[in-house]
Amino acid sequence: MQSPINTEQQLLAALAAGERKTTEQIYQQHYHIINSWLIKNGGSSADAADVFQEAMVVLFGKAQDEDFRLTCSIGTYLFAISKHLWYKKLQQQNRSPIFLQDKSEEGDNDIGIAYEEDVNVHNEREAHYEQLNSALDQIGEPCRSLLKAYYHNDKNMQEIAADFGYTNPDNAKNQKYKCLARLRKLFYGEASPRPSPGERVRSK
Amino acid sequence: MSINNNIWELAEAFVAGSLSEGEITELNDRVAGDVAFASEFNEAVNLVRSMAGSGKQKRFRSMLRDIQAQSANAPAAPKRIVLPAHFWRTAAVAASVAILTSAITIWSINYSLKKSDSQYNTISREVGVIKKVQAQQQAQQNKLIEIINTKTKPAPPSDVKYTGTGFALTNDGYFVTAYHVISDGDSVYIQNHDGDYYKAFLVNFDADADVAILKIEKKNFHFGKGELPYTFSGSKAGLGSGIFTLGYPKDEVVYSEGYISARNGFQGNGLQYTLELPAGHGQSGSPVIDGKGNILGLLTAVGSQNEANTYAVSSKAVLELLHTIPAASSLHLPKSNKLGHMSHEQQIEKMEAYTFSVKVYKK
Repeated sequence: MQSPINTEQQLLAALAAGERKTTEQIYQQHYHIINSWLIKNGGSSADAADVFQEAMVVLFGKAQDEDFRLTCSIGTYLFAISKHLWYKKLQQQNRSPIFLQDKSEEGDNDIGIAYEEDVNVHNEREAHYEQLNSALDQIGEPCRSLLKAYYHNDKNMQEIAADFGYTNPDNAKNQKYKCLARLRKLFYGEASPRPSPGERVRSK
Repeated sequence: MSINNNIWELAEAFVAGSLSEGEITELNDRVAGDVAFASEFNEAVNLVRSMAGSGKQKRFRSMLRDIQAQSANAPAAPKRIVLPAHFWRTAAVAASVAILTSAITIWSINYSLKKSDSQYNTISREVGVIKKVQAQQQAQQNKLIEIINTKTKPAPPSDVKYTGTGFALTNDGYFVTAYHVISDGDSVYIQNHDGDYYKAFLVNFDADADVAILKIEKKNFHFGKGELPYTFSGSKAGLGSGIFTLGYPKDEVVYSEGYISARNGFQGNGLQYTLELPAGHGQSGSPVIDGKGNILGLLTAVGSQNEANTYAVSSKAVLELLHTIPAASSLHLPKSNKLGHMSHEQQIEKMEAYTFSVKVYKK
């Protein structure tokens, strides 16, 4: 079974790069199973869409690491993460999960625990991104729009210079660096020799 | 401020991995010797990395939403049925990769194993063999129609490719059948129990659930007098519920009865029922009705010989699809059930007017 492993690895690499075709393929291939499982377990189609998309983002996050290797198939992974996310959601809503006896689900508990860590890492990253975005919202214009154009909308400095009325891409780039410096101040606090909490200073 | 723009350029290059070995050594030395710089540089690197990561993820999320929306609002083709060619491609890819995943969804089986010896056979009727008989009957029928009723439409021009069964959703022309019945054709007609033909167009479909909603083209069309006598069940019926169905495995309506033998369908599909009910080709799309006149679903497939089950898509899937069509809010779904107090024979007679043969043509 050499080639399927390669195939899955290639799929993951394309997914990590955000390629639409691959993402669509993975989506279409696995959505149905998770959708019907969720409906059997007290969810709606809308819940299934939410949960499955979140699971895809978890996989996307994991796949960013080039060294990441799945120990199971993409389908199994997405299913395990989706189940985990759904049980979490039910817990939050104080609804106890409905466990249906189903042969195919035997041994799932081990997988669930193994992937709990992945979901936790994902949640931490989400919280971090959220803080970053709220700092971005406080930064003021033109920095907010400029940084969003560059990082969120994937525009290059040439386009940004044209859109924001800078005479050349270098000027836009300098402005971007100034904006990043302001964002740093908002996000980490005033620059000072005192290391702020959570900061990782390289030690000798 | 002590930070010059340089630190950002450096951080960006560091994150992108475009620093040379020499530059990295230099950088390490500076980080080791200058605590303030180290702290600033670390923050800069973290920030650049996080900004890039969060942006990339944002784009990925919006792409996912797009893909989801695309598959939810599956192409609704007004007036004409266009077979989505990409569907076959997707099905082929899925079927080839399906070996990897332990579970195979219904539709990939449905489409990839259509040839014959599958464990899951959709039960639309491929005409071919009985074409001659059909043609004769059609000719007779046409003659009859011409003589009796000048108002009815003439029979469609080309040969029938598939037949199935459909039943009314609203009295003014919306009806439902199994998607696989109509998916391979380019025009669809219904033939009601009086033998009249009416042309229909596809309103929306859910290929995975195997449900298609169509509408009769003719204006001011009505299946019968007054509102439909039956209602659609939004919840799942219990094990052992007695059910019956009317369908067109031949050119005459056929009655069969049975019971719900499992709450879920093929390979645990939650949108389906498993039925103990004899069904054959041509009965795809037939209504599954309980004793009180509630529509529980529609027939979609039968198991292979060694696993003689019949599968029905639950009416929940039909209702869900119904809510996605643009005209959903103006549709008049039946509100009251008139079959509940009737005798079984009366129920069947009433149902007959709203159940019809679906004929699919392909040039």
